[in-house]
Amino acid sequence: MGKIVSIHSFRGGTGKSNTTANLAAQVALRGKRVGVVDTDIQSPGIHVLFGLDEKKMGKTINDYLHGKCSIGEVAFSVGEYAADSDGRAQLAGKKLWLFPSSIKGRDISQILREGYDVNKLNEGLQTLMKELELDYLFIDTHPGLNEETLLSIAISDILLLILRPDNQDFQGTAVTVDIARSLDVPNLLLMVNKAVPGKYDYDDLKAQVEKTFGAPLTSILPLNFEIADNASKDLFSLRFPDHEWSKGLLQVTEAVLSVQ
Amino acid sequence: MPNNNMTDVTIQQLKKTYLFNGLPDDVLSILSNSIVHRRLSKEEILFRKGDAGDSLFMIGEGWVKIVTEDALGSQLTLNQCGPGEAVGEMSLFDQAPRSAGVVALSDVTLLELKRDAFLELIDQRPDVALLVIRGISSRLRGSTTYIEKAIEWSRKMAEGDFSFIEQTQSRDLLGDANQEDRAKQFLSEFFKMARNVSEREEKLKQQVEKLTLQIDEARRKQEFDELTSSDFFANLKEQAKKLREQRLDKK
Repeated sequence: MGKIVSIHSFRGGTGKSNTTANLAAQVALRGKRVGVVDTDIQSPGIHVLFGLDEKKMGKTINDYLHGKCSIGEVAFSVGEYAADSDGRAQLAGKKLWLFPSSIKGRDISQILREGYDVNKLNEGLQTLMKELELDYLFIDTHPGLNEETLLSIAISDILLLILRPDNQDFQGTAVTVDIARSLDVPNLLLMVNKAVPGKYDYDDLKAQVEKTFGAPLTSILPLNFEIADNASKDLFSLRFPDHEWSKGLLQVTEAVLSVQ
Repeated sequence: MPNNNMTDVTIQQLKKTYLFNGLPDDVLSILSNSIVHRRLSKEEILFRKGDAGDSLFMIGEGWVKIVTEDALGSQLTLNQCGPGEAVGEMSLFDQAPRSAGVVALSDVTLLELKRDAFLELIDQRPDVALLVIRGISSRLRGSTTYIEKAIEWSRKMAEGDFSFIEQTQSRDLLGDANQEDRAKQFLSEFFKMARNVSEREEKLKQQVEKLTLQIDEARRKQEFDELTSSDFFANLKEQAKKLREQRLDKK
């Protein structure tokens, strides 16, 4: 059986989608069968990183949740369409599928208005794991702790929590850690992102974070203006592998892969 | 004869002073007639700050210190002067009271030149004035370099740029041999201050940036209780448990 990896942060703006996409790509590069699900239905965004735009987008998670299609029909095979940018081109032929959320305003407002059956999302994810024989299924969640996020956390084998080095993120992460423990999530990993280079004593920060949350801090990734310049157009760690951010992301990748 | 001998000695001594070493022998000869030889014992006071001053002293042998008092009245040594150097040279040109005191550090021989005698000499030989001015201005030129340095460092410090501390070699602080001790001392004190300020700033920065994880435990518990008290959560917990068991079975 493959592993479900949820990537979560208590507040928005932590670089969650970027991390999820790069992580999934790195794992796929190593020959694993990888799925990426965008459950951030309220504010989808990860599709852009995989080169998927509104024109190319076919069926979505929204269609599946409303019973309009099967979960398999939502799959967008990144490896088959990946040659449009330097970073993504490396994914050609890799087993990496994206399950995007609809970016149409109408679909988003419908979901927000009517809600959806969380159990159906769960069924869909379990089906995916089985039918595509996934080694890893990465779930890009919505920030905060709403019902679909709680579901993602509940069903994950690995929960990767991303936080920035500030007290608001620490507070929210503390609550999320408590929830994850209460839901018996077997593997909890932490990652600090957007640390201003040279501003903190990294060893001290790592020690404090690990002591406070009782979970391993996989890496501290620097605040990266080049990522902002890259404007989510490409997979940063594939395009700029020598950048400090990319090196940090590789540490996170190794930590995820080493979970038995 | 003894008088002639004395004149020769005086001329030789005058040639060693920075103010008069450029003067031709005939002028030195005239000058030597106006020189009064004086001796000081160790720790003897030549003059005090504020005393009326109307003569210049050139040091033949021994050392003196230039002293002033700080705001609390304790003695502060500004400089030390030895053979060939002059003290009180400003009084040749102005008639202001002594700007600092002079105390002998050892037994000292001095050549005293009264203001009136000096002015009389200049009256006879106006070219002497030019040579003396040249001597004084070369000294002034030396002091402007350290003033420039101090201004440059002050500007950098104001901008928070302490890179000059790393870039400054110890020989920059020692200055050249012609530079006054006072200037060297000033520069070295200034440098020490800059380093202290820089260290203090660095420490302050570390305090700001040493992040302390602060978690409001009461709020943490309250939020956890709110989230976990719903039926949805209880149900989810149950489902997750079953799901894990199923997946474990399959393995």
